[in-house]
Amino acid sequence: MRERLSFHIKRDSALHRLNPLTKLLLVLALILSAFLTPFYWTPHILAILVIPILSVIGRVGREYLSTAFRLILPAATFLFLMQAFFHPIGKEIIFAFYFLDMTLESLMFAFGNAMRIVVMVSAFTIFLLTTHPSELMSDLSRRGLPGQFAYVIISTLQILPQVQAKAQTIISAQRSRGLETEGGFFKRAGALIPLIGPLVFGSLVEVEERAIAIEARGFTSKHVKTSLHEIPDTPTDIFLRWFLTTLIAASIGLKLWLS
Amino acid sequence: MLEKIKNNFNTQTWVLIPIAIAINIAVGQIVVLLKLPVYLDSIGTVLVAVLCGPWAGALAGALTNIIWGLAIDPNALPWWPVAFFIGYMAGRMAEWGFFKSWWKVVVTGFVVALTAAIVSTPIAVYIYGGITASGSSFITAYLLETGRGIWQAVFSTNFLVEPVDKITTAMISFAIILGLPKRTIGGYPKPEQVEVEGGADKNQMYIAIGVVVLLVLFAAFLLRNVLGG
Amino acid sequence: MAFVNLQNVTYKYPLTKTPVLQNINLQVNEGEFVAVMGPNGAGKSTLCYALAGFVPHFFKGEISGSIEVDGKKSSESTLDEWVLNVGLAFQNPFNQISGAKYTVFEEIAFGLENIGVPREEMKDRVDEAMSLTGISDLADRSPYSLSGGQQQRVALTSILVMRPRLLVLDEPTSQMDPIGTREVFGVVRKMAEEGMTVVMVEHKVEWIAHFADRVIALKEGRVFLEGKPNDVLTSDLLVENGFGISRYTSAAREAKKQGLWKKDKLPVTLFEAAEGFKP
Repeated sequence: MRERLSFHIKRDSALHRLNPLTKLLLVLALILSAFLTPFYWTPHILAILVIPILSVIGRVGREYLSTAFRLILPAATFLFLMQAFFHPIGKEIIFAFYFLDMTLESLMFAFGNAMRIVVMVSAFTIFLLTTHPSELMSDLSRRGLPGQFAYVIISTLQILPQVQAKAQTIISAQRSRGLETEGGFFKRAGALIPLIGPLVFGSLVEVEERAIAIEARGFTSKHVKTSLHEIPDTPTDIFLRWFLTTLIAASIGLKLWLS
Repeated sequence: MLEKIKNNFNTQTWVLIPIAIAINIAVGQIVVLLKLPVYLDSIGTVLVAVLCGPWAGALAGALTNIIWGLAIDPNALPWWPVAFFIGYMAGRMAEWGFFKSWWKVVVTGFVVALTAAIVSTPIAVYIYGGITASGSSFITAYLLETGRGIWQAVFSTNFLVEPVDKITTAMISFAIILGLPKRTIGGYPKPEQVEVEGGADKNQMYIAIGVVVLLVLFAAFLLRNVLGG
Repeated sequence: MAFVNLQNVTYKYPLTKTPVLQNINLQVNEGEFVAVMGPNGAGKSTLCYALAGFVPHFFKGEISGSIEVDGKKSSESTLDEWVLNVGLAFQNPFNQISGAKYTVFEEIAFGLENIGVPREEMKDRVDEAMSLTGISDLADRSPYSLSGGQQQRVALTSILVMRPRLLVLDEPTSQMDPIGTREVFGVVRKMAEEGMTVVMVEHKVEWIAHFADRVIALKEGRVFLEGKPNDVLTSDLLVENGFGISRYTSAAREAKKQGLWKKDKLPVTLFEAAEGFKP
């Protein structure tokens, strides 16, 4: 399990310098055009050409590739195989293996679908690689998102690795006391409670004190909040946001017009 | 409306949500490790929903899938609306007094499962074309092979898988609430929703088991109708 | 008129039978440094919560009597206004990390962001507070990567930076080594001299004797003893009632029985003991 749940790579690049909201719109535009396009090859072009180029512009090409191989490709391949074999379209079977059969249509369908998923996840990955979570949250708070949301997102990202570490400790502690996590179904089901009990109770008793600590520091203050960091928002950002909004509107419009 | 959403959120709610999300994900991963045929990845969501309200539960659910999807497993991402409605429904059921004894909790689990089955069907159909990355898609594939329509096949699969998972989730959440000190519960927005009635004695358990049996029969009946005999 | 004024405060947590605070009367002057001590369950933490507004605003429960700070009544204020005047830091440092920030610098600025302090002023105040408590070198570290003692310093700094008029501290040095403890007491003393009023729950009697203006001993929710540090900390009543006392006091008390301690007053600190044993 990873120690930290932040992908962010601190570097200086054109993508890093963009305003977080601009990048979020870029992600949205990529996903929507992949899902709404009437042309079969759009998601493929986005996944194979556009996204790698973006990763190079953001100077995170190597990190993107490693995430793609570790996280995105396995998920997409699995989905591709499931759909290629099980999706019941097409007549002409091009490949058969026992009860599994694949048609040209199901192959094409699965390939397109897998690519759409690749585009969706890759777009977010590049966004996360080039945007620090607190930068994103400060910018969204400045634009009117309630401060509590920033608190929830960032503290989840920080608490999750700790809870996972706690879970690991509990699992090894219970195993060393002879709890069996392997074996028959009832043994494994019986192991559930001693594992999740301490984890859940241990985390829940902290809630009250944590709430006191942040209230003591003005969490519920009615003042207009300020932000320590200044988030850049340049004319380029504003132009790009207009451009991306138009693109999104166009792909939705095209989809509606064709259907 | 806005007031009704706002009263779900006090400082303890905001502090609980990140912890609940972490519980969802960590328990979900423990269950995978134990190779159990359930997900149990919404215990935290249900806790938030019953202690704080439907909107807080919905937020906790949606954020769980978004963060899970972006940081751990991309396939969790498209399902955020399902998690949203799981939290919302659990909160509504608690508002209606269905989180105060074992048998009522079983009913809550069943209603939440039905909600999850309904909401996940269009997502599975539109985004994945019916076959998702989950193991239960083997059932869908089988139903499709035997000539069922895609909506029918996907919904039936969800309806087969969800009740066991969500009833177990609701019961574990109830057990956790029974185990929490009363003082801890008092600080959340809706402590009155989990005031236990009828005690936690054996009879309550028997009623709960009876309700499970009735629900299974009801589910079988529904499924037969959906699949057309 | 005292800066902090508690009149007949009696308080019960929800769903409990016995009051944790019983008829507490307490006056603290502006700029005074008061230490509070007592055995477990004496009501020390509850007293801190009462001063900081969390009792009863956060915990609910039944309260009677009045709590006044700077002429304002707690019962007539709301918690978010009250915390602007009264700062609270408590024992467990881990639960005091907001979780919303990635670096110590941002963590300390969290409170100032919440109450709307402008950016430039915020940076200056954070820098100043960090150098006061000696943690400037931790500015870019993650709060979660620190030791318990360092986290306690961050928690204290996060409250000091908000410049409360009354500072309430509940065992703020429990995870610190002697050097760290001494430094924190020094900082608190300095704040008091600059006019901040301080109420601090502590067990470390030698440091209390050295730095505090007054000591209050609580027992079973009541004020049991109150007075100058040396008078309270050397009182025979403390030992008889299960309070922790300084080892130098115990040693000198034994010595007095055998005629070896000649002075009237018993010592609390090493320095006083050494002075007294001088031939």
